[in-house]
Amino acid sequence: MAEHVTLTINEKEVSVPARTLLVDAARLAGVEIPVFCSHPKLDPVGCCRMCLVEVDGPRGTAMMASCTMPVGDGMVVRTDTEQVRKVQEANLGFILLNHPLDCPICDKGGECPLQDQTMRFGQGISQLIEPKRLAKKHYDISDTIVLDQERCVLCWRCIRYLEEWEDKPQLGLFERGNDTIVDIQEGRPVDAKTSGNIIDLCPVGALTNRVSRFAYRPWEIERTPSICMHCSVGCNVRLDSRTHQLRRIVGRENMQVNDQWICDKGRFAHGWVNDEKRLAAPLLRKNGKLTQVQWSEALAYIAGKAAGIKEKYGADAIGAIGSGKISNEGNYALQRFMRGVIGTNNIDHRDGGDVAALPTGLPALAELMKPQYGPDPQVDTVLLFGVDPSEELPVLDLHLKRAILRGGVKLIIAHARKIELTRYEGPYLAYKPGEETQLIDSLTQAVQGTAETEGDSAARAAAGLLSESEKALIIYGPMAARGEGGPVVRLGLEQLAQAAGEGTRVAYVGLDGNAQGCRDMGVLPDRLPGQFPLDDAEAKARLERLWGCTLSGSPGYTYKQMLDSQEMRALFVNGANPAAESPDWAASLDDLDLLVVTDLLPTETAEKADVVLPAQGWAESDGTYTNLERRVQRAPKAVADPKSRAAPDWMIFTHLARQMGAAWPFTDVRSVTEEMTWAVPAYAGLNWEALGDQGRQWAAEAAPAPESTGRAAAGVPAGASEEADYPLSLVTGTVLYDSGTLFGLTEQMHGMAHGATVTLNPADAATFGVEAGSPVTVQSDQGQLEVTAAVDAQVQQGTAWIPESLPGAPVGALLNGSYTQRVRVERR
Amino acid sequence: MEFGDFLKGASEIGKAMGVTLKHLRQRPVTVEFPHEDIPIYPRFRGRHELRRYANGLERCIGCCLCEAACPTEAIYVEAAENDPDAPLSPGERHAKVYEVNLLRCVFCGDCEEACPTEAIVLGHDFAMANYERKDFVLTKEQLLNPGMPKVIIRPE
Repeated sequence: MAEHVTLTINEKEVSVPARTLLVDAARLAGVEIPVFCSHPKLDPVGCCRMCLVEVDGPRGTAMMASCTMPVGDGMVVRTDTEQVRKVQEANLGFILLNHPLDCPICDKGGECPLQDQTMRFGQGISQLIEPKRLAKKHYDISDTIVLDQERCVLCWRCIRYLEEWEDKPQLGLFERGNDTIVDIQEGRPVDAKTSGNIIDLCPVGALTNRVSRFAYRPWEIERTPSICMHCSVGCNVRLDSRTHQLRRIVGRENMQVNDQWICDKGRFAHGWVNDEKRLAAPLLRKNGKLTQVQWSEALAYIAGKAAGIKEKYGADAIGAIGSGKISNEGNYALQRFMRGVIGTNNIDHRDGGDVAALPTGLPALAELMKPQYGPDPQVDTVLLFGVDPSEELPVLDLHLKRAILRGGVKLIIAHARKIELTRYEGPYLAYKPGEETQLIDSLTQAVQGTAETEGDSAARAAAGLLSESEKALIIYGPMAARGEGGPVVRLGLEQLAQAAGEGTRVAYVGLDGNAQGCRDMGVLPDRLPGQFPLDDAEAKARLERLWGCTLSGSPGYTYKQMLDSQEMRALFVNGANPAAESPDWAASLDDLDLLVVTDLLPTETAEKADVVLPAQGWAESDGTYTNLERRVQRAPKAVADPKSRAAPDWMIFTHLARQMGAAWPFTDVRSVTEEMTWAVPAYAGLNWEALGDQGRQWAAEAAPAPESTGRAAAGVPAGASEEADYPLSLVTGTVLYDSGTLFGLTEQMHGMAHGATVTLNPADAATFGVEAGSPVTVQSDQGQLEVTAAVDAQVQQGTAWIPESLPGAPVGALLNGSYTQRVRVERR
Repeated sequence: MEFGDFLKGASEIGKAMGVTLKHLRQRPVTVEFPHEDIPIYPRFRGRHELRRYANGLERCIGCCLCEAACPTEAIYVEAAENDPDAPLSPGERHAKVYEVNLLRCVFCGDCEEACPTEAIVLGHDFAMANYERKDFVLTKEQLLNPGMPKVIIRPE
């Protein structure tokens, strides 16, 4: 078949790629064909009959559905004849037959394809005098989506999305003929992690947003193209705001990142932006109580206190914690403040220096999306090591599912839990926290063929897949590479990749929205901006010239070390909440001479602070964020609370630096972005204008090589007595719907949140005499936790699964700063 | 020449005086407001009112079409969901906030035209003077309870 075919649409010759659908060919030719069921991202079904056009064929002219009809060479198509117009009018009449026309109270009104097409192609009058069909109106098919069956025009888009993309057919058609309705299975709400996309897809107001219900009208909102910061995929979104409030978030197309899909957390969990609990004024501890003060007073207090501590105990007694939830600008200003003004490398973030990462993130998200769009797949096998995309990176999960289903990508999963993606064919390799290295070693040996993995068919199958594949990609996350054993895991994975062959790559993905940017900006105790080692003379000289100061060459403390250490006298905490993570840390924060917390909301750490500074969030100030594939993207200011005195992070530290005698040249956020492009060579040229609406990926070659420290394995196997006392290995990690501050403040989603539970394997539950729902105490040698038990075969035998940040159940109480822990579960 | 001019001037003065004298016999068109009432036309467009149905439910469904139609952005509507057990209006949606800024309003009546439920109407009350700027923003409460304006409707 020829690559291109030529056809005539409305007397105009067009040449389009073969196998293009007629409706797409018409769009390329600039001819509009009205559609309801057809969607460029979904398979054609041809059920709405709106797209009928005249096609000349061997047996005369016929009306054909252009959305299911591939183009043919020499085809003659007409879309503007009297016949087509009449058919469109009649068809719209049939579609409107049962449509209730309650547009004034419908959230879709104003951006509704049915409204628009009725105005453009409709008859203009109604011929219907009979009563309309009645069906269920406004009932919830999940906590976040409302279905109105009367408005539905049966286009199947929602059904097809859930089948084709989510692979979770949770919506279906029921009844027949005139009574056909879309519905969920009785009592089984839609729970796909990206189900909100069906709201965007719906061509009428049948599916609407529960969280933003009646909160906006399309004609009265301001639309700001932005990105989502809930996870490191960095999906492109649009923020719809009105009267200084964020009203709604919808997906925005970026074919390099998220296609046009976003997950439900990104879409619905924005209640915190305008929450009244937001910090709105600086607080200073006076007589033991946090009191509202002016910015000048708070900053002068910090500057005086910090200078005193620096003089008395030295600069290394001061530390700072940045955050993967804060923009590049905020993180850059913070580390410049610590390195340039205070003079220490004590700067880190959670999952920063304590995690053995790789500097460049994923090669490209588009490579994982590729199988569905192009004939040139860049990845044929994916090994997920300690990452659960379904809970941690839902849109990556979507891409992977599509790659598996349509691109034939093979999946290998190594995880402490039998994660959701294990439902696809492929080996699942279980390990217990702390035993990652053994698994990697055995896998590497199996790939090399040096050792026969006795009886473990999964490892053999995985090794087989890896050695067969030409373009394998190993993705690992922070859960697998934390702490002492981290570098060993990283080294092991690199050796595994080498053993698996030339085309195999290893990629590290952070979990926080700006995890990559944090590293790029040098919010690491042993890395300068641009991820250069501290002893890189060229990078050091460049920064000293840029900042006009001399830089300390001794590595600072990591996040964990700063909080564990008794030598710290002052700590700046930005967008982090270590007090909630460990009782020991909470106690050591109390002992500090100065604790400055900069945050959006009052946290456990802020309650202990001497000074609390209110920061602006991602929607309130301009900022750039770097996603897991190194794409630097803009998040412009979308809303501003006129009553709040919160300031962006970069501004807080610029003023603080000035108070402490340093003259920083920043006048606005653009100047910070500009300086970043000089300080980080990989970001050269990536200023605000250059980034545009779709962001730009920085070249992986620009990153310095990661240090290859092959430290000895530090994983200490538990002693026999310990195993007897604490028989279970604690598995923790991130779930999408936790009770973190950024999720918990969206009231409508409370029902979706993961409960305060410990999940056990059915066999273990039977051993300990625990049933689902029974109240239990989980105990480790660090502390204990009272939760409810749940039983699920997803959890492997010998482990207990408690996610991070559950309501009233901080797993940190058991871990107390460590990464692996053994626990026992007792009935209360 | 001079005499002719004089005569011409006198006749003009006479003419003007004639107009004055003619109006001396007519009743004054001005009204001693507020001591006297002004009769107004039935379709006079005065202060806004929000109507209710006979069963007490508000007509307004918070659709914001009046807001969209308003040429001076004098109307601000914030919609909310009805509590099914105690609905404020028929259907799912009602206006949580409904404000009309009288300082902006030009009394064009486009909001009446746009309203799908005939909830917002321009009433007959035209005595809208006030002392504070904020008092010119009518709240939903004020709009729903307009009181009885002291006006006389004259036949069209």
